[in-house]
Amino acid sequence: MQSKLEQLKSEALLALKSVKDKMQLEELENKLLGRKNGELTNIMKGLKDLADDARKVAGQIANEVKIEIESALQSKKQELSQADWSSVLEKERIDISQPALPKTERGHFHPNTIIQTDLEDLFTSMGFMVLDGPELESDYYNFTAVNIPTTHPARDMQDTFYIKNHDVGTDSPWVMRTQTSSVQVRAMQKYGAPLRAIVPGKCYRNEGTDVRHEHTFYQLEGFVIDENITFAHMKGVMESVVEHLFGEETKLKLRPKFYPFVEPGVNGEVTCFLCKGKGCRVCKNTGWLEIIGAGMIHPNVLREGKIDPNKYQGFAFGFGLTRLVMLKYGIEDIRHLESGDLKFLKQF
Amino acid sequence: MLISYNWLKNYVNLPASISAREVADKLMASTVEVEGLQDQGELLQNIVVGKVVSAEKHPNADKLKLCKVDIGNEELQIVCGGSNVGEGMLVAVGKIGAKVQWHGEGELVELKPTKIRGEESFGMICASTEIGLGELFPIKDEKEILDLTDKNFQVGMPLAQALGLNDVVIEIDNKSLSHRGDLWGHYGMAREVAVLYNRDLNKYETKKINAGKDFKLKVEVKDAKLCPRYMAVAVGGIKVGPSPIWLQEKLMALGHHPINNIVDITNYVMLDLGQPLHAFDAIKVEEKIIVRNALKGETLVALDKNEYKLNESDLVIADNKKALAIAGVMGGMESAISDSTTTIIFESANFDAVSVRKTSTHLNLRSDSSMRFEKSLDPNTCEVALQKAVELVLQCCPDAKVVSKVMDEKKFSLAVGPIEMPANIFEKKLGVQIPQKDILNILNKLGFEVKAKKEKLLVTIPTWRATKDISIAEDVVEEVARFFGFDNIPSVLPWMPINPPQKNALRNLERIVSETFVKELGYNEVYNYSFVSEDQIVKMQDDLSKYIELENPLSKERPYLRRNLLPNLLENVKNNIENYPEVKIFEIGKVFSIHENGVRADLNGDGLLPRQDTWLATAFVCKKDNAPYWQVRRALETVFGVLNEQFEIVVADVVKSWEHPTRLALVSVFGKTVGVICEINPTVSESLGVEQRVGVLQLNLSELSALLENKNFVSNYQPASIYPEVVRDLAFLVKKEVEHKEILVSLLKSATLLVKAELFDIYEGNNIGEGYKSMAYRLTYADPKRTLTTAEVDSSLEKAQKELKKEFGAEIR
Repeated sequence: MQSKLEQLKSEALLALKSVKDKMQLEELENKLLGRKNGELTNIMKGLKDLADDARKVAGQIANEVKIEIESALQSKKQELSQADWSSVLEKERIDISQPALPKTERGHFHPNTIIQTDLEDLFTSMGFMVLDGPELESDYYNFTAVNIPTTHPARDMQDTFYIKNHDVGTDSPWVMRTQTSSVQVRAMQKYGAPLRAIVPGKCYRNEGTDVRHEHTFYQLEGFVIDENITFAHMKGVMESVVEHLFGEETKLKLRPKFYPFVEPGVNGEVTCFLCKGKGCRVCKNTGWLEIIGAGMIHPNVLREGKIDPNKYQGFAFGFGLTRLVMLKYGIEDIRHLESGDLKFLKQF
Repeated sequence: MLISYNWLKNYVNLPASISAREVADKLMASTVEVEGLQDQGELLQNIVVGKVVSAEKHPNADKLKLCKVDIGNEELQIVCGGSNVGEGMLVAVGKIGAKVQWHGEGELVELKPTKIRGEESFGMICASTEIGLGELFPIKDEKEILDLTDKNFQVGMPLAQALGLNDVVIEIDNKSLSHRGDLWGHYGMAREVAVLYNRDLNKYETKKINAGKDFKLKVEVKDAKLCPRYMAVAVGGIKVGPSPIWLQEKLMALGHHPINNIVDITNYVMLDLGQPLHAFDAIKVEEKIIVRNALKGETLVALDKNEYKLNESDLVIADNKKALAIAGVMGGMESAISDSTTTIIFESANFDAVSVRKTSTHLNLRSDSSMRFEKSLDPNTCEVALQKAVELVLQCCPDAKVVSKVMDEKKFSLAVGPIEMPANIFEKKLGVQIPQKDILNILNKLGFEVKAKKEKLLVTIPTWRATKDISIAEDVVEEVARFFGFDNIPSVLPWMPINPPQKNALRNLERIVSETFVKELGYNEVYNYSFVSEDQIVKMQDDLSKYIELENPLSKERPYLRRNLLPNLLENVKNNIENYPEVKIFEIGKVFSIHENGVRADLNGDGLLPRQDTWLATAFVCKKDNAPYWQVRRALETVFGVLNEQFEIVVADVVKSWEHPTRLALVSVFGKTVGVICEINPTVSESLGVEQRVGVLQLNLSELSALLENKNFVSNYQPASIYPEVVRDLAFLVKKEVEHKEILVSLLKSATLLVKAELFDIYEGNNIGEGYKSMAYRLTYADPKRTLTTAEVDSSLEKAQKELKKEFGAEIR
């Protein structure tokens, strides 16, 4: 019995070597292991006629032989299958330089939205609220409340859009807000101090349009008010912002600038992100880009906001969002932004 | 404004090692905005005074001349096209290497030896515009060269030296000076420079005027508010003529064309002290000078030869009979200094800033004088300015003599303080400690008087800063900060509690919605103006009276505020559809409602602003799609899917003029209408120039965000059933008018086992009877507690079919 098994094994393995395809393999498998007449199956069926001891020994050997044959069959099967597939796979070669078809068109955000969202996220991460206010605003919140007296040139009809039946000189003059600062006093009156907020929004100036000027543009205003907020804090926050916008090596330079709603007032310039301060077309060869107006909030403004200027102080700043967008993307004509032209908008 | 560096140095002793550039940089960091520097000598390098020895006709060209020009050490042959060139003329000669601007335009070009029509030319005889002197020597004719014959300059002398143009001019942005009346003259600017370099400012020396008595000068000021000070004095023995060269040079350096000695003196004093002066021909002034408001209908021909119509709020300088000058703005032609003037009256006055600005604005007449008075000048300066002017006149006209008393009508008081402030306010506001002696030094040099009193400082404001600029402690802090240097203040991030910011629900919704349209639906975001035109409104067949109007629109074209986003969005569609087979755009923005109230206009009053909600509007146009309503509906479903909220579709009982009446639905959330989906009525879109059907969605994001914000969170989670669902499809024919909504109700009430019924196909067409449609539903049956049997599903389906037959006459397929 034992020798019979050994012989079967060696014959089987030999036969396996000469198998060329799946058909032959199936035949061989059937010949050896087929349920009805497989050679090994028959041998194993015969085991039951042996005496107990002999059956035990022979059974063990028979099992070992079976496992060996099965595993040899299995690896032959894999070998054949791999050979089959490799020719099929070769025929399935594709052009990997080709894009997926049909093309799916993605949508595009307006570039202003991209920059505004980015800044909102930055400021929110620093604990600033995001606020907005009316675009058709009272003369009071747009001017008087932020310390711009009636005689200030900014109120001239040339610069400000007034609303019919609500123009200068009427009881309730209304304007299209000329600046997001109009929300400062609204926010102070609503939330009190301490206060940390930004106001991104649409602003209007009665100004002829050309490559660099628009009657409609976007600003991002911000302010921080608490008991001990100083000019040094203003510098700190401004620096974080410009580093976020233009990279960590960006430098900030402040110069005095007069705005009625701050005292002291400053103008912030940053090293040109394009030429890194060496001077180029974008920065008009100065190496610097003017991007922020800022200052310590004027006590009159705090007072209008019902915040005690003897207890609280703070700073405010404003970016021209539109200007940032134009700088960042190198947009040459401001009028593209409100053109609704898909050839322009689909680039962002 | 232009500042001469040489002039500044008259008042501050700066070592030669300090350059104008350095001073400009420091001024930029601490005081004003410098726009640029002009080094006059630099522009005129290699340009010398030459004398035309001969000017023959060019042998080969009619309009050119062949000149021999003496430039001192040599004689050059130059081909010249100047219309006025002639023998004996003194001219500006650009030697080889000089840089000139052809015809005053474009880049600078370096001169090289050349041949013109066969004749050699070694340089160029220049026109004033070609060497940057166009303002000093305006040309009358394009081909005219600069004629220096009457200047008697030495031949061969560098032109810069001959013209005294060895100065550096610092150009300052006027806007950066708008709050600083004291900086509109060199002396004021020199004060800032003195502080920047910690030097003493030289005292401004003038001589007292020795009054005369031959001329009876009378001055009457009607309203001291509008004219807080009026000084005048008459000077006789005047001989009007050119100013001395030094004076001409100073004026020319700052772009002022010299006129005559008297006018030049008034301009000089203005540039020196920032105080505008005026000189009248005394013979033209009848009896006395009256400062009064203009009379109704009064007119005046000003020095610019234009006639101005004045109104009663304008202030004029007049005599007994007529207006002589527009106060603080411009003198009159009639009383102007002429060659025959022998006695003059100098005016050195102070006028109300707002009044001058209003007059200059409504007359559309800005002058060096009005620009300065607008900034609120110090009335104290009138006196020194007048003294200086008289001193100069006496110097320039040997026979001149003061012939009147010095008139001085004044009534003013300045709020010079003292301001009381805590001594530590500088550290408290700036976040940096500055030594007290540095603080005091800066303030003293600027003219402040400071008294320290225990923990307090008493600061008196110099008169020239007290007119408008400085009134509170914070103003004084700024003075110290800008000279201490903003660069020297550290950058520190504030320490604050880490409380998270209050959420802005509307802004969050705007973001989710725009992200959905861009990222999921492939729409493009547009920004439009908030203004619309009458034409747009008319084409929308809308009513003009529903629109808020601007008082002063930029152009007459778009004077109205949009009350919805569609007009401009449809214009975008029109402008883009030619270039793209499909246009998918959206805008989020505020609209303005004339009849509804919004937020308060101020804190205390009852005034309310018009309501200004934020809306979303989208437009879908595809050349192949005649029913874009469905794309809009899909977008609506997607948005609410992303929001994980339900919406309902409601029939609109009012159809707006631009809406397609039978492809229109309102969108409702929690029973409140928040939007609308529709196609644009083709009559409207056609008149707007869009041939294709346009599908639009509009959502009031302000309302929607308020509704969602107030909603309590409810979880709809349920564990998935372990028992299988049975799915059956059901298709049938019904009349076209039968609505999905009715079918759904019928299906759902037919069996308790039915958990979901989804419409998955609609078909109308050839093999179906006219007026009928085929509808196909996928029905899902399930019971959470057991497995359903085929028999019970079959019977439920049968019941549904019967019901559909009975209610709608459905023909099961």
